[in-house]
Formats: sequence, structure tokens, C-alpha cells
Amino acid sequence: MMGGRSRAAAIGLLTPMIAGLAMALSPVFNVSNSFAVAPFPLTPLGSVLVIQARGLRKVFRRPRRVEGPFGAVRTLLSRQVVETVAVQDVSFDIDEGELVGYLGPNGAGKSTTVKMLTGVLTPTSGEVIVRGVVPWRDRTLNARAIGVVFGQRTQLWWDLPLIESLRLIGALYDVPQAQFGRSLGRMRDLLGLDDFLDTPVRQLSLGQRMRGDLAAAMLYEPSILYLDEPTVGLDVLAKAAVRDFIAETNRAGRTTVLLTTHDLDDVTALCRRIILIDHGRVLFDGTIERLIASYGAERHVIVTLAEPGREIPGGLRLEDGRYRFTLGAQEGVPALLASLGASHAIRDLTVAEPELEDVIKRIYAG
Amino acid sequence: MKAADKGMMRLALRITYAYRASVITTAGLLVVEVFLLRMIWTSVYDGRSSVDGLSLDVLIVYLTLVNLQMFLMTTPIAQHIHSRIRTGIVFFDFVRPIGYPRQMLGIQAGTTIGQATLLLPAIPAAFLAGAISGPAGTAAAFAYALSLLLGYGIAVLLAMLLGMAAFWTTEISGIATFYRFVSQFFAGTMIPLTFFSGPLRTLADVLPFRYLGYVPTAIYLGVTDGDEIPKALAGQATWVAVLAGLFWLTWRRAQRRLVVQGG
Repeated sequence: MMGGRSRAAAIGLLTPMIAGLAMALSPVFNVSNSFAVAPFPLTPLGSVLVIQARGLRKVFRRPRRVEGPFGAVRTLLSRQVVETVAVQDVSFDIDEGELVGYLGPNGAGKSTTVKMLTGVLTPTSGEVIVRGVVPWRDRTLNARAIGVVFGQRTQLWWDLPLIESLRLIGALYDVPQAQFGRSLGRMRDLLGLDDFLDTPVRQLSLGQRMRGDLAAAMLYEPSILYLDEPTVGLDVLAKAAVRDFIAETNRAGRTTVLLTTHDLDDVTALCRRIILIDHGRVLFDGTIERLIASYGAERHVIVTLAEPGREIPGGLRLEDGRYRFTLGAQEGVPALLASLGASHAIRDLTVAEPELEDVIKRIYAG
Repeated sequence: MKAADKGMMRLALRITYAYRASVITTAGLLVVEVFLLRMIWTSVYDGRSSVDGLSLDVLIVYLTLVNLQMFLMTTPIAQHIHSRIRTGIVFFDFVRPIGYPRQMLGIQAGTTIGQATLLLPAIPAAFLAGAISGPAGTAAAFAYALSLLLGYGIAVLLAMLLGMAAFWTTEISGIATFYRFVSQFFAGTMIPLTFFSGPLRTLADVLPFRYLGYVPTAIYLGVTDGDEIPKALAGQATWVAVLAGLFWLTWRRAQRRLVVQGG
């Protein structure tokens, strides 16, 4: 590595000369970010690949529990281990500025994947490259480029007022005073922090704490934001505030967001693309529309007849006297109407489009 | 020192002061301890002016000094690492742009500054009550300062190593309680090590804990003097080097071992 001072001097001389060029290239080279690291590969369309996961696998080992007399002591002395495969084989690419929903049932391996992407856990095999860096090998370098929020735990210091945690984070990430002031001002506006900035974190409501955590994660303006269930346990208004903040962060700063959630309203409100995993493998990677089209192609048509009471082939008679028809991917509503209309008088009809929730339910159920 | 280190120190200082009642109680108890030690040992000596060649006055000064000193060396690190691993919050320590050991050192330094301020009422009280007297001489004072610093280094490194155990076992509170008792005892905070004999004395000499309490205090009092002083300091420096090396090796393995609890 070059000496810090000589490199700074060289940059000082070159800056005015290349500034114009850099502005033109800024979507490609993240010039505004002083923590920019090694060049990363470009995808054909000119978008920048920021997260690359290849064949990720994580196996946890723990001592096998011994049952029977003195089980606890025998467990302690046993050399046998149980292996749990948390992540089997996960691969995906995420481009700069994307907002991706990372979904899967409990225990599917979502959090473990996030922990590997952030560099905290070392993969058992496979590789991750985030902005040209292998996260677990270069933890501190990777740290500057990422922000993380876990809904289930907080990075704020329990005993101290919220502002103290934010100050510490400003100091840890070398945020200059002026930028800290600007950034904090923005967070106060977007997240309404003013009411509880001086309140000890242990006294905050869950919604306030989550807003504090979002502020902490974005204060130093990282280019990637990992969100692990950020809306868990929040009320409707707090959820909306969190969603607005995520959408705004993604829109304003080209921040790439990977969002893990069980709340499908989060997904439909925010994500253009989803990656669905189960048992540690990727089941689906694409847009919500494509997911519904390929997994949830079934639609229901509910029909009310002028003369109820008769059996109709293919129609399920509901308790209220209406009939339900289930259409496959290739079957159209007009065809059904034509054949039905030929023999019955139809009074009313509704078509229920498949919802993301139905699709996800079916996939989770296997 | 960078902004990040100052930030960690400031944080630890704030945490020390977060609970007002606890701050006042601790500072008050340290004053009480000074007088309690005198009362207990005066009654133990029961009118005799010296036991085994150790005068009551010297014993009281020794015990007062060694106990206040040990308070300064209390370290939150092992407890801190343990609780963050147990709850999974350690995750956030690993996504910081400065390394984990450096964060721990910042927390340690801030805590020590906070604890030093808690000693402010106790030290003058001890001088006024005659429970501490001045150092044996100028040379002794300088040697004491250096010895205290090295002892502090040993205490911190031991705590960091103890904290590392949590990366393997998750739970260390049992070991930590045992460690606290053993380290206090073999540092000589209850009885001076000169009263130890036989295998107990051998054990005390082999373990590093005497370097936290007895050794610096003996320099201060002039019990250790002349050629003995450099020997004592060299012994401390050796422990610092050995423990630092051991910590480095352990830390390298601990990073790979990390399990973050909870989904």
C-alpha cells in the first residue's frame, strides 16, 4: 500500500484534472465514496455488480447431546458433533442500486447468508465478493461500505441516549464533523428522531428503536444496506415509516438494499426483484410478476347463477350458492364464460388474481 | 489516537456514569473500604504492634493501596465479550471499520478513566486517615508507576484472553467468577504474599497475578528495592509479551470460530 500522505498529495494534484471526467463516469466508478475499493466487474448493460455470491455454504457444528444418566456431563465430554447445514448452496448477483427482497421461511438460511455477506461469518465453502472485496477476509474494509439493521437486535448502546450511539458511529466511521451534522439532520427529518434523540435506548419503543437503528446504519452513507426483518413487530404506522425510509434511501443515493422480511407487504411495496430460498438453496430469483406467473398461475373465478342449485361440471359449489372455478396458466376467463354461458344464465362473476402470499404459501408448503 | 478510539473511550466513560446511583455508591464504598480494612486488621492484631515481623501500620498501608489499585485494574472486557456473544450483538462489533481487539482496548481505557475518577474521594480519605503514606522514595515512585502500568497491561491481556474463551464456550460466567477470586487472592489483596508458605507460595510465584497487586505495591513501600526492582519489572514485561503473543494466536483462531446467536 502507498503511504497515506503521498497518496493524499497525489490525489490532491490530480483531483481538479480528473474531476470532470469522474463526474461523467460516476455511475460506473463510485467517485463520491472515498472508501471505494478495488474495481469491480461490469455487467453487460453497464450496471455495476456489487454483490456476488457463488456456491455459498455454511455448516455449523456443535457437540452431540447425550441422553440418559449424567447426560449433561457426558455431552460435555463427548467428542461427537452434530452438523447443521444452514446454507446449502446459494448463488446470486446483485447490481448497484437494486432493492432485492431475500425471502424464505424461518430457518431457510437467510440470516446466515446475510452474516456471510457482511463478512462476520466465514463460509464453509463457496465465495462472496462485495465491491471487489472478500468480506470475511477484509472485514474492516468491507465494513465501511455496508450498513446493517437487524430487527431482532440492536446496534445501539442500551444504557445511553440515542445520540451517544450515533456520535460513536460517526467517530468509528471517520465521518467529518460537517458531514455528520448534515447526515444527522437528514435522518432527523426522514425518521423523526427529534422526540427521542436524548432518550436512553432502553426506554425507546420498538418503533423508535428501529428508526434509531436505521439512522445508525445509514449515518456514514454506506453504499450497501442489509436489512434483516426491519419491520418485525412494528405497528402499521411505524412499518410505513420504515418502508418510506428504505424506499427513499434506495432512490436518493443509489444505495443497494438487500431486504430480508416475512412481511410480504414490505416486498410488494419495495422490491422489484426477489430471491426466494428454502433449505439453504435458491428456489427462485426474479421479479414478483414472474414468480406469480410461474408458481401461482392459478386464478379463481367465482360465479353467481340466475338459477342456483344445479351441479356444474368443473365448478365447486360454495356454501353461499356460488360456484368456484379454478383456471390453470393457459386457460382464459373468456373460454370459461363461453362454455358456461351456453348452458346457464350468469348473474355475477368475480376473478381473483393470485396474490404473492398465496404463491409464497404454496412454495413454503412444498 | 484516532477519532474511533476516542469514540470508544468516551462511550465506555459514559457507560460508567450512566447510572448515577451506582456511581455514588461505588465511590462511597471505596471510602468505606479504606476504614473497614483498618478496623478489621486492628482487631486481628489485637494490641500487638507486629506479627511475623510485619507491623500493623505497614500492613494497613499495603492492603489499602493494593485494594484501591486492584479496583483500578478491574476490567469489563471479559464480561463485555461474553454478553455480546451470548446475545449475538457481537455481530455489530464485527462489522466495524476498526478491529475487535482495538474496540476492546478503547472500552477498557474509557472504563479505567471512569474508575479512576471514582477513586478521587477514597485516595485523599486514605491519606488523611493515615491508611496510605508517601512512596519509599523518588526512584520507588517512578518504578511504582511503571510497575503499575505493566501490571495493568497484564490484567487487561488476561481479561481479553478470558473473553476469547466465550468464542468457544459461549458461556464463561462460571470461569469468570473463579478467575476473579483466584486473581484477587494471588494478587495479595486479602493477605500479603509474604504470609504465604510452601506450595501456596510457589503457586503465587508462578502465577502472573502477584504482578497486578503485590509486586507494584511492594515497590511503592520500599519492600522491594535496589536490584530487585529491575528484576520485578522485567518479570512483568515478560508476562506482557507472553500474554500478548498468546492473545494474538487465540484471536486469530477465534475469528474463524465465531457463531452469531439468533436468526
